[in-house]
This record gives sequence, C-alpha cells and structure tokens, in this order.
Amino acid sequence: MAKLSLQHLDKIYDNDVQAVYDFNMEVEDGELIVLVGPSGCGKSTTLRMIAGLEDISNGKLLLDGKDITQAPAKDRDMAMVFQNYALYGHMTVYENMAFSLTLRKENPNVIYKKVLAAAEILDLTSQLNKKPSQLSGGQRQRVAMGRAIVRNPKLFLFDEPLSNLDAKLRGSTRREILLLHKRLKATMLYVTHDQTEALTLADRIVCMSMGHVQQIGTPLELYDSPANIFVASFIGLPPMNFFNVKVEGGKLTSSTLSVELDAEDKARLKAYEGKEITLGVRPEDIGEGGQTKIKVMTNENLGLNTLVHGHLGADGKGEQITCKFRGWCEYKDGDEVSIRFNRMHFFDKETTNAIVKEEK
Amino acid sequence: MSANANELKFIRRDRMRYENNKLSSNLAIIAIVFNCFFFISIYGSNVGNFYYTLMMGASIVYNLLFMLIVFLVAEGSKSYHIGYSYIAIPVGILQFVRILGYPRIAHTATISLADDSIVNVMGNAQFTRTVLYLCISGICLLLSAAIGIYKCRELTSHLKELEAASPKADAA
Repeated sequence: MAKLSLQHLDKIYDNDVQAVYDFNMEVEDGELIVLVGPSGCGKSTTLRMIAGLEDISNGKLLLDGKDITQAPAKDRDMAMVFQNYALYGHMTVYENMAFSLTLRKENPNVIYKKVLAAAEILDLTSQLNKKPSQLSGGQRQRVAMGRAIVRNPKLFLFDEPLSNLDAKLRGSTRREILLLHKRLKATMLYVTHDQTEALTLADRIVCMSMGHVQQIGTPLELYDSPANIFVASFIGLPPMNFFNVKVEGGKLTSSTLSVELDAEDKARLKAYEGKEITLGVRPEDIGEGGQTKIKVMTNENLGLNTLVHGHLGADGKGEQITCKFRGWCEYKDGDEVSIRFNRMHFFDKETTNAIVKEEK
Repeated sequence: MSANANELKFIRRDRMRYENNKLSSNLAIIAIVFNCFFFISIYGSNVGNFYYTLMMGASIVYNLLFMLIVFLVAEGSKSYHIGYSYIAIPVGILQFVRILGYPRIAHTATISLADDSIVNVMGNAQFTRTVLYLCISGICLLLSAAIGIYKCRELTSHLKELEAASPKADAA
C-alpha cells in the first residue's frame, strides 16, 4: 500500500506543447482514483509520468514521502496494466505472469506460489498452461492484471484496460477490477475515457480537460455538484441539457422557457439578477407534467426508461432537449409534451463555473 | 518425509505443469552447437583432395539430418514429449560412434604434398579437438534424453495423482 503525492506536475514536450498543467493531488492508501476525460486531455500522460515512462517537466512526485520524480521506472515499485495487454505471445500464461519475478531471479518455488495465488484471485488457474492466443480478450486482460499482482507493487496503474473489450465483457471485467481492489486493498490509479467506468469504480474521480484538472471528487460529488459546464456535460449519460436563460425577478426566462425559482435558488442567483446564466438540467431530472412544453423529435425506449429528444417550445423552435422518463413511453414525432425541471444546476456564462451557494 | 519436504516435492513436480523442460531442450541445442564445431573443425586442415569422397558427402548429409532431428528433439522435450527423448538416445550414441569415422580415419591417414613431403591429414591437436566436440555433443544429448525421460515420467505420475485426487475432492 502506498500514499502518492503529485505536486504541481507539468508536462511540456520538446516541441513546446504542454500536455499537463499544474496537476496537484494526494492519493491516500488503498484509494482507487480514476482519471477521466476525453482523448488528448492528458490523463494517460499523467499516468505515464507517475509510472516513469515520461519525464516530469516541472513539479514533484512523492511516493510514501520519498521523492521519485527522477527515479527510473524500474525503481518505482509500480505495476502498469496496458490497454493492449502487452503479453508475450510465445509464453504461457504462467510464464507471462512469472516473467517479472524470473527477471528478478526469485526462487522458482516462490514464483510458483505467487503466480498460483494470483491465478486463483483472477480465476485463471485452469488457463495457466495456455498461450495468450488461446484466451479471450477478458482473460488476456486478467493475465495482464495477474502479472501486475504477482509483483506485489506499491501502486497499480491501469491505462484504459477495458477499451479493447466488447461491452458485455467490459462490464464483467470492470466488476472483477472492483473486487480485486476490495480484496487487495491496493492503491490504484485508473485511466479511462468512459464515465461509466469512472463512476462505478472510483473512490475519487479526477476529471481532466486539455491538460487541466477540472474537478477532483467522489463520483457523487461530480455528478451532483459539477464544478463547471465541462464536468457537468462529461459526467452523466445522456449528457446534461444546457440553456441560456436570464435571471429576472425570481424567474429564469428565455424565449421558450419560464421557470420559477424556489427561495434557495433565488438566494443563490441574487448576484445574477438581470444577467444571463447557463441553466443545466440532467435528462433524468426532467419529469412529465409541468408548464414547459417541448415538441418531440425522436423517442428511444430502453425498457426501464424512455429517452425523449425534442425541442423546447410548443412550436418546437427552441433549444434541443433530452428527457429521460421512467417507464415505456410511446410518443410520436411532433407530439407536444409538458415537462418540469425537478433539479437544476446554474453556471456562470462567462467563467462556465458552477454558481454555488455562498457560505455564510 | 516432513510436511515441508513433501510440499517442496509437490511444488517441484507441479511446476512442470506450467514450465517448459528448458534443461533438456537447452542440452539438445548445445549438442547441435558442438556438432557444428566438429564439422567446422574437420576442414581446419588443408589436405588437398583427401576429403573429396563419397563418405564426406554422406557425412554432410548426416550432419544436416542430425541438426534437424536434434532440433525436433529440443522442441519435443521442451514440452515433455517422452518419444523425442527416446530418439535422443541413439542419436547421442551415434555421436560417439562417429569418432571411428572421420576423426580416426583422417588422424591415421597421410598424404603426399606437391613437394613430395608426406604429412598427416589430421594432427594430434585437431584430432583431440574433434573427438572432444563429438563427445560433448553426445554427452549433452544423452543427458537431455535422461533428464527428459525422468521429468516426463515424473510429470505423468504427478498428473495421475492429481487426477486420482480430484474425484475425491468432488465427492467431499
């Protein structure tokens, strides 16, 4: 188990492109941190800097209080699991898992015990004498994890380990990673662009965009109280709806919207009276029945829920909106539906930051 | 036998289920290497047309066959195929028999050169070297075979024990 401290990390490549800006975070013992963000946001670069595969341009990296900023990858006592598994095709599963220990010239009997223990955890015992080509994608990824486990490292690093798997296998392997984390109680850093993985796996999520950390928090914090429009739009599926509205006399108004604010929201938006803000509403926070009208464009039945896509306003000329209604709905194109917003998020239009209640 | 020794014995045997028989395989490869040294060193003496005979042709063909067979033995014994280890025994013995072929014939033969001087085809040092290479090659092959057969038998009996134990576990 390990405690990791990232202090003002920057990554600037030789061509002056900066991939990571001022990354700060404290990872506690046994925590599972998920770095999430779109492609090119710097999450994999950050992980590779931690692993020692990329140089750190500025800042400090401490593992259990020891400065490892300049330490070579082999001396960092971290194990990394890659998206493409990185298994040796000519070796059996056993040999793949034992490889790092063999390089360290460990006693073969000790290697045997460690490999079998890891195989037991990952349910790979019956596959040990097979070659990677004889395994499914999920099993190969488990072998890659097994190779990390046998080393008993201080820190596990996962770089989009489920991206090569199909949707069904991704779900089951995700649960296995979660069980593994609970069983090993190890400190893990996990990179993904899939918000479902982030929300289901993480103790804390680091949401990144264009090299900047947007928000660090628990999955619930990111979902419930997004720090800005980027986080609000990235976390949640389908994504949050955004509307430009004006705060006027305790109401939010636009050409197609008029929403009455409660006392708490009124107080929160007091400073914005007469100004335009961005209103965010999650599709699942929209209910049927209310004063706001939408015109249905398409209807997606998912069994338990129905996604209704439409445009605000009875004439259907307003902003696009997605609603997630409970149950099976049979709306047709052009139907007029009344909706209400059960929960709203407010964002400053200029800074895109969330408008939070002022602390007294 | 103590519990610890029993456990170590079990681990040693069980490891064979997952690990290749690298020792047997590597010994067979070493046998090929020393055989190569042997036939390279045969040509070390410049002795006119002494070697231009049918026997040398046969020797070359045998060397090619030897390398092919022993390579297959190396691969087969790596994955505990006992048949390949059995093949290694006669091939290994033949390496010793080959001492009676070219090394001995060339060592006892003489040839007259253009200046009418008579010289030995193969000197003592070269003879010793070629014999040594054939011996090492033969020993490696016999060792490879012995280790391969021993490990194969041990693995087979271990697998039988495991198989016998598994229905009991199911019943329990």
